Amino acid sequence: MHPLREAQLSLQTRRHFLSSVGQFSLGAIALHALKAEGAPTSNDNPLAPRQPHFKAKAKRVIYLHMSGGPPNLDIFDYKPELVKRNAENCPDSFLKGRTFAFTTGVPKLMGSPRTFKQYGKGGLWMSDAVPNFQKVADEMTLLKAMHTDQFNHAPAELLLFTGHARQGRPSMGSWATYGLGTENQDLPGFVTMISNGVQPSGGQGCWGSGFIPSVFQGVQCRSKGDPVLFANDPPGMTRDLRRATLDALKDLNQRQQDELGHAETVTRIAQYELAFRMQTSVPEVMDISKESPASLEAYGAKPGESSFANNCLLARRLVEKGVRFVHLFDWGWDFHGTGPKEDIRDGLTAKMAATDKPVAALINDLKQRGLLDDTLIVWGGEFGRTPFREGRTAASQVLGRDHFPDCFTIMMAGGGVKGGFQFGETDEMGFAGVKDKVHVHDLQATIMHLLGFDHERLTYRFQGRDYRLTDVHGKVVKEILA
Amino acid sequence: MACGLSAEDLRFNRDIRPILSENCFFCHGQDPKHREAKLRLDIRAEALMEHDSGFAIVPGHQEKSEILKRLLTHNPDDQMPPPESNRKVTPAQIELIRRWIAQGAPYEKHWSFVPPEKAPAPKLSDASWARQPFDRYVLAKLEAEKLKPSAEAKPATWLRRAAFDLTGLPPTPTEITAFESDASQRGEAAYAAAADHLLASPRFGERLAQDWLDVARYADTHGFNNDSARSMWRWRDWVIESFNANLPFDRFITEQLAGDLLPSPTPDQRLATAFNRNHVINSEGGIIDEEYRVEYVADRVRTTSTALLGLTTECARCHDHKFDPITQKDYYRMFAFFNNVLEYGEDGRIANAVPLLATPTREQQAELKRMDEAIAALDRKIAALKTDALGPAGLRERLAAEDAKLLPKSLKPAKPTEARILAKEAGIDAKRGTTLSVWFKASSSTADSPILSALDRSGNPAGVGYGNGRELRLVDGEIEWTASQRHPAYATIIRTIGANIGPGTWHQVAVHIQGKENAATIALFVDGEEVPTQTRHDGVSGAPANRDWLLGSDGKAKPFDGEVTGFRTYPSILKPEQVRQAFWLQSADKISEPQRKAADLRTLRRHIGSTQALQTERDTLWTQRLATVRNLPTTMVMEEMPVVRQAYVLNRGQYDAHGEKVEAGVPEELIAPWPKNAPKNRLGLAQWFLQPQHPLTARVVVNRFWAQLFGVGLVKSVEDFGTQGEWPSHPEVLDTLARDFVDGGWNVKGFFKSVVLSSTYRQTSDASPELYARDPENRLLARGPRVRLTSEQIRDQALAVSGLLAEKIGGPSVRPYQPESLYKGIVVDAPYPSTTWDLGKGDELYRRSLYTFWKRTVPHPAMLTFDSPDREFCSARRSRTNTPLQALVLWNETGYLESSRKLGERMLKEGGADDASRTTFAFRLATGRMPRAEESAVLTRTYAKLRADFTARPDDAAKLIKVGASVPDPALSAVELAAAAGVANMILTLDETITKN
Repeated sequence: MHPLREAQLSLQTRRHFLSSVGQFSLGAIALHALKAEGAPTSNDNPLAPRQPHFKAKAKRVIYLHMSGGPPNLDIFDYKPELVKRNAENCPDSFLKGRTFAFTTGVPKLMGSPRTFKQYGKGGLWMSDAVPNFQKVADEMTLLKAMHTDQFNHAPAELLLFTGHARQGRPSMGSWATYGLGTENQDLPGFVTMISNGVQPSGGQGCWGSGFIPSVFQGVQCRSKGDPVLFANDPPGMTRDLRRATLDALKDLNQRQQDELGHAETVTRIAQYELAFRMQTSVPEVMDISKESPASLEAYGAKPGESSFANNCLLARRLVEKGVRFVHLFDWGWDFHGTGPKEDIRDGLTAKMAATDKPVAALINDLKQRGLLDDTLIVWGGEFGRTPFREGRTAASQVLGRDHFPDCFTIMMAGGGVKGGFQFGETDEMGFAGVKDKVHVHDLQATIMHLLGFDHERLTYRFQGRDYRLTDVHGKVVKEILA
Repeated sequence: MACGLSAEDLRFNRDIRPILSENCFFCHGQDPKHREAKLRLDIRAEALMEHDSGFAIVPGHQEKSEILKRLLTHNPDDQMPPPESNRKVTPAQIELIRRWIAQGAPYEKHWSFVPPEKAPAPKLSDASWARQPFDRYVLAKLEAEKLKPSAEAKPATWLRRAAFDLTGLPPTPTEITAFESDASQRGEAAYAAAADHLLASPRFGERLAQDWLDVARYADTHGFNNDSARSMWRWRDWVIESFNANLPFDRFITEQLAGDLLPSPTPDQRLATAFNRNHVINSEGGIIDEEYRVEYVADRVRTTSTALLGLTTECARCHDHKFDPITQKDYYRMFAFFNNVLEYGEDGRIANAVPLLATPTREQQAELKRMDEAIAALDRKIAALKTDALGPAGLRERLAAEDAKLLPKSLKPAKPTEARILAKEAGIDAKRGTTLSVWFKASSSTADSPILSALDRSGNPAGVGYGNGRELRLVDGEIEWTASQRHPAYATIIRTIGANIGPGTWHQVAVHIQGKENAATIALFVDGEEVPTQTRHDGVSGAPANRDWLLGSDGKAKPFDGEVTGFRTYPSILKPEQVRQAFWLQSADKISEPQRKAADLRTLRRHIGSTQALQTERDTLWTQRLATVRNLPTTMVMEEMPVVRQAYVLNRGQYDAHGEKVEAGVPEELIAPWPKNAPKNRLGLAQWFLQPQHPLTARVVVNRFWAQLFGVGLVKSVEDFGTQGEWPSHPEVLDTLARDFVDGGWNVKGFFKSVVLSSTYRQTSDASPELYARDPENRLLARGPRVRLTSEQIRDQALAVSGLLAEKIGGPSVRPYQPESLYKGIVVDAPYPSTTWDLGKGDELYRRSLYTFWKRTVPHPAMLTFDSPDREFCSARRSRTNTPLQALVLWNETGYLESSRKLGERMLKEGGADDASRTTFAFRLATGRMPRAEESAVLTRTYAKLRADFTARPDDAAKLIKVGASVPDPALSAVELAAAAGVANMILTLDETITKN
């Protein structure tokens, strides 16, 4: 029997849970209430698997975040009218009373220099930037009239992942593990990985637990160095010796518990055992060297590197082992045009080559393993990019666009969403959503729905208010549900 | 029910209000915009009025009360709360409401809005247990619950508990032994003496600071995307000093809220106001300035409200509060107090945001004082010496030749009609170093006019490239130099202090332009002498553009009122002596006879044998002094703008949706009246918070102190004393403590002393499984506190018992071990301060954890693992989790491994000759007690096993003991040391070790 379960069975009282989550018994009670609604569970480990409000379509989520805001008009949102009017002055009606991050004055419209075609049974529009997305079009739902309230990176990312544009609220993955627990107690329930540079502008708040207990925060795993911070034994310490000292430690802790009866000591003993197991299980799952050459090739992954491709492959390995929420952050999508890498022609081609291949491979791989049906994949940025050239770089050879909160595209696949489906339309120049607009709060509500939750009922009491991921907004986008 | 602990009579605040608040007030509360059926249940008079469907509440008549019918019905059209609300009232709660109506439906003002009064002494069957007045109420409650207090903790257990609570560090075995013996002889007196000793320790301030830093969201970086370094540690040191000096808490708060508004504020009082500048500041390009400025003001409201009112006013930012009677207007009236700072939404990219203040450390203050005295003494000596009026022959010629060697470039406009010098002519080069000088004479006003400007003032001031360049202005008789990439957020702006330039006379200014062109590298000279400066902005983030210079104009505002001439640049940094000489050489025809005589005298003194040595000494000291001043640490502080910025209600909380105009004010009816004659500014606000009859401040503060000791507050929701918060477990204890705290002069040390000496606190934390099951969180206080140590305490203890702890108090934050690659691929890749973790040296690795550099977006991972908050916002309580990642930190983190090895060294050197005494030695250091026989057996057995293992693998032993920067004692065998380190690590990882028992 699993050591934690064992410990819990020996102490099946609420007090154990209360003490293990510390002072947050308000939360514990909320969790308790939550449990009362779902099927009863036999233990009080905060990360033990739990049933959601109703039967879930998706059991787990892989969220692929492209930090910076991919240029939707050059990938999914085809605008021939904008191409026709390329280099014309941007209409006043559009600029009036608005502020853009890096553009003042009257910018020039910019049609996409890329070639678009329709793909798959649903006739999804895609550009030549995403040759591999084209091949998996039948698995995708595209939300083409996404919009947000924020036009700077950090607040937009926080709004997208925590429901609020400032730090301090629990993140999407924290809500998911708070609601569902996780299925493999030897691994963290919520894992984040970062590629190509730096963490998202929103910082660790994008995977933080805010005011809910920190057991629900994302654990950052790395494909280089310690797979989880401090997981590696120090030089000179063998596993056997660690085991031997841990046995003694367990013995001493147990004696103290026998003597004084502190419930938290029982939890401590169990957590130490878990830690010991994690030291093996995490490096194992993070080691892709034993993947087949075909699999490595499909993703474009190379053992020992830290790349988005490796992270996609790792995401599959993690969800396969029962991790609830895997959140990948890839840097380098802020296509302002301030350098050749931010050019929507060659720059985007290069960036996408390292992106759409592993994402397509991930979709195929999950499908092949029978995991796609109950694993939700989401791909996208925190906002879109303007239909005009960015002000600062308007005179350069490089083509870039400014931040744009009104229109962007999010791609979803698997986990209970339709395949070969596009939802929402923007106007002929990509200035505004005109049909089936989806706000980021609606996206959150939909993801929670797919996980089996009524987003309005998955709440946590803090400072007298019941908080939720969707703040006081959010509507489930029923139309995309399979 | 709020507590569910007692079988007393119904009380509205405790039993009924929470049910109504939770389920009814959302639609039938004080927010008129969301009120349904015009029914309001939070005010008795309104709740008793007739409505369309009858009377909601008829006192004494449950059968006529619509509210009960609605609660009981299953008809979804009538049911309350409505099924779609996700709210549900339990049968037990309905029964309470029924009983309450039957008893006449009495209302009470919410308990926390009524000023605390001491409760009458309770009747006790045996009062001898109580040591402090509040112990009686604790005992009364236990008696009502048919429980008995737990036995008294052993003296050693109490001492360790109190030591962690008052100093954050464990007592040493020597201290424990001494105390045990003292306690056995002197009893109570020994406890009091021990408490006094702990309170007198400078560690007390460090311990108390820890929690206040959380509340004050202290950090060493600005947050957001760039998250570069800021300098606020002088404020942190002020907090530590204040606690150590037992500054009365009302002054502690007043100085932080309004130190700058006190009559003739001291530098320390101004420094204290940094409290309200600890919020995050965004330097991301392209943000809307006003949006973030509003955010900072809102953060001050949030922090102040949580810290002192225990109320979450944040809800009222967008709409009237749903639960607590705080309106949106109340919120923005509070907002108005903090709205008058001359600050920017975008600031702090590379240094402190404005306004800021030079804040010398105590050592620097002493050093400056010493220098000033020395300079004054030298001046007196020099003045007493005779100076030969003629000086050495040919002096002027010699100096002129020296000056010429420095290759000055005289810059005259090409066209007399346009006073413009081309950038390439001026040849400013900060990398190489440039000295610029210019002469001017103001005709009448010296208020604010440009002397020289190469600053781009074209375009929109909100635009990205606005204000690139350099500029020299005369402002209120002082010289101001600007080097800017974007004005003013990314600019260095420094202004002279005491130049006192009046109209009608010629003056020369010289500027050292070098290095990063920040405040520390720029020097200003007036009439040949370097003058002290104050830093107004210190944020230039790269080289300013080299633009054409306009003489006497900035291209926009009024031109210089007077004459500007003699513009020169030197392609090097002139020595102070050379600047002086250049001035003297150029001054002859410009300055008046008396001025000239004085200048001659000053020059001659440097070249005449009788005075030269003293004068050189004086000059050197002066230059040193100014360099010291330029390099003083700065701190961001509060500073009122001369004209109050109009505040508005912001509709939906939107920064630009101005609604009704509002003036600064507080919810007087709800909470407390405005004190007579108090000014309507932050100082008045402080007086309002701290008036003796304020219902919240003292309660909130003592409750937080209590939570520091017991792990949970008397009001468990330490951050919420509003109607949604929890009813206090012991209202009488809370009110007695609050009353005594205020009436006793806000005496912080006095408070802690009384509690640690109380019978409640002195109970053992060991308890029967039944008691744990009945009261898992110890809300009844039938036992002593048992709480896992904080992240800081766990690490500090490891450092202390291993002998590594560096005891220095205060100073800049330090960087102890952190995984080397942690920032790699995470932190923004730009040359901003704090984008690298430059591992500390020597003692910096072993300082107490509250000095660890706090980077908001990537806080130290080991501290986060043990539940330190990220300090993005005010946080009044920490979660206390128990996770596997904590084990990994204790086992594998470099610092803990090094502490283990050093503790191992101590075992070998100080722990006696055999394994049993060595393990006992370490065990006692870490837990404060002797191991029991069977524990000792486990320890020695494991020690032997480790020794055997490492004997077989000596290379592994050698590797293990190399972890950490300190060098292992070469006199010790690697195998012995590794084995001892292994045992020590185990001991440091014990549940008991990392817990306050």
